[in-house]
Amino acid sequence: MLVETASMPAPAGVQAVSVDLRRLSRVGSRPAFLDYLVQLWDFREFIFYDARARVRSGTRRDRLGSAWLLLNPVFNGLTYYIIFGILLQTSGGIENYIGYLVTGIFVFQFSAGAITSVARSIQANRTMIQAFNFPRAALPIGANLREELSGVPLIIAMLLIVVVLPPAEFIGPLWLLVIPALLLMSIFNLGVGLTLARVISRVNDVSHLLPFVIRLWMYGSAIFYSYERFIKHPALLEIIKLNPLFNVIDIVRDCVLYNRIPEWHSWAALAVFALGSLIVGLVFFWQGEENYGRD
Amino acid sequence: MAATEDTVYFDGNPCVVLDSVRMSYTVVSTADVPADKSPIRHRLFKRTLGRDNKVRVDALNELSLIVERGESVGIIGRNGSGKSTLMKLISGQELATSGAVYASSTPIMLGVNAALVPDLSGDQNVILGCLAMGMERALIDEKFDSIVELSGLEKSIHLPMKSYSSGMGSRLRFAIAAAVDPEILLVDEALNTGDAQFIDRSRKRMDELRRNAGCVFLVSHSLSTIEEMCTRVLWIDQGDLIMDSEPQEATAAYKDYTDHLSKGNNITAAKIKDDARSRLTITEILPRTQGRRIGVQL
Repeated sequence: MLVETASMPAPAGVQAVSVDLRRLSRVGSRPAFLDYLVQLWDFREFIFYDARARVRSGTRRDRLGSAWLLLNPVFNGLTYYIIFGILLQTSGGIENYIGYLVTGIFVFQFSAGAITSVARSIQANRTMIQAFNFPRAALPIGANLREELSGVPLIIAMLLIVVVLPPAEFIGPLWLLVIPALLLMSIFNLGVGLTLARVISRVNDVSHLLPFVIRLWMYGSAIFYSYERFIKHPALLEIIKLNPLFNVIDIVRDCVLYNRIPEWHSWAALAVFALGSLIVGLVFFWQGEENYGRD
Repeated sequence: MAATEDTVYFDGNPCVVLDSVRMSYTVVSTADVPADKSPIRHRLFKRTLGRDNKVRVDALNELSLIVERGESVGIIGRNGSGKSTLMKLISGQELATSGAVYASSTPIMLGVNAALVPDLSGDQNVILGCLAMGMERALIDEKFDSIVELSGLEKSIHLPMKSYSSGMGSRLRFAIAAAVDPEILLVDEALNTGDAQFIDRSRKRMDELRRNAGCVFLVSHSLSTIEEMCTRVLWIDQGDLIMDSEPQEATAAYKDYTDHLSKGNNITAAKIKDDARSRLTITEILPRTQGRRIGVQL
């Protein structure tokens, strides 16, 4: 092979050319924020198709197929019931403890699953990103939509368990409030997921930390105990109760288990967190638009 | 370097403009560092963090270029000369380390590296891929049969992509990428890996696309293909532009060069390359984004 010397003869000359670039746009450049949102809207069919196609293929490898969407939280609930309900007795003072536990675990799993899959959507689809030019936020939004779609049977199962297991609850009009609560939660998931997706696309190490953070969050969201039992300081209790996930779970429990109208400040906290995280997440994600899928 | 000549005002219809584009990668090398004199604990620290021995590779040195509508640009050069890097930069798959690529519309790269979603079936991937290129759903349904036909997958189109052989996968990817009629088309001829029947079909579709496109970039190791299809040829070697001229002239010089190389006449070969390079006139882009011409700046 030829051993190249560093010296390369100078070219004959440099020709300066003035070019009108007004009708051209920079390849791979990030559009203005509002244009970006319009682009996302134009790609809505891609988002829907991506979400729908992958819901169906997600569990194809398992023998029980889609049943795992349901069995997973059921087994989880059983585990926590044995440990916290029977062994550790954290159920003290909670009315309908099984219902309390089931609503907490199902709603939390829904949320944690969505955040994780949105956060990993960019890393998981790098080849797709390298192959095509589309607004990258379509992937996290598609992942969130996919989680919502696969969450529907999950939530229905949760309601069924609450109805069937003693003490049986009765279906009332308040149950409808579960829908807006879960939608707000889904918006919150998307916002958090978008933020994490950009972080993970730069520092993949964060995806290893994610399960631990989520577990910590779970233990801190009053799923198998009530805050009142352990926290005696009133100001601290108020701060901890701002936790958006706790608010969703609290709203669902009020509607489904205790037949009482959820307090307005639960809704307010949830709505503020949902919209706030969506705006922060979208803007933060959009700022990294040019660098997704690159080494 | 020769003195800068007077500024030329380009009044044509530019399709693609490369303004001082340069690309370098940082990669991990397995070569031993000759003398790492840092204390042992620093070395251990580096090793646990997996941060040993990063090397910078210059894939493409500074390059400026104006390509007009109607031009077909062939890119030739040895392996590792930066041809594919240049194509990736123009298509937007890679972002230049410095400089910028401007284009009149989204360039579409026709290659086999458009990886898709392995868990989904072939037909789902067709729809998803087309949607990702911004096609309307109705148009996809209309073109669906012709895409499947081009891919030659027939019944296998309903199986998950992960069950495909690599040849089947690349055929499907090509068929999807070829579904749109792009204004700016990039073709990496390395795709001619399928069976004879597929090569024939894909070539036909490529010819169709080339006729309809505003401008075409073509990478090929076949000099006859380049001469036949291109109106302008770039010769790139080790990340540097060597020649930018008429197809016959450039392919003749390049053929001369590679012939001498394969005979082992390295010095003669180097001389041919240096001669070509010393006759090259480099372009320098002065962007005119305002209505006024920015010729001289104080």
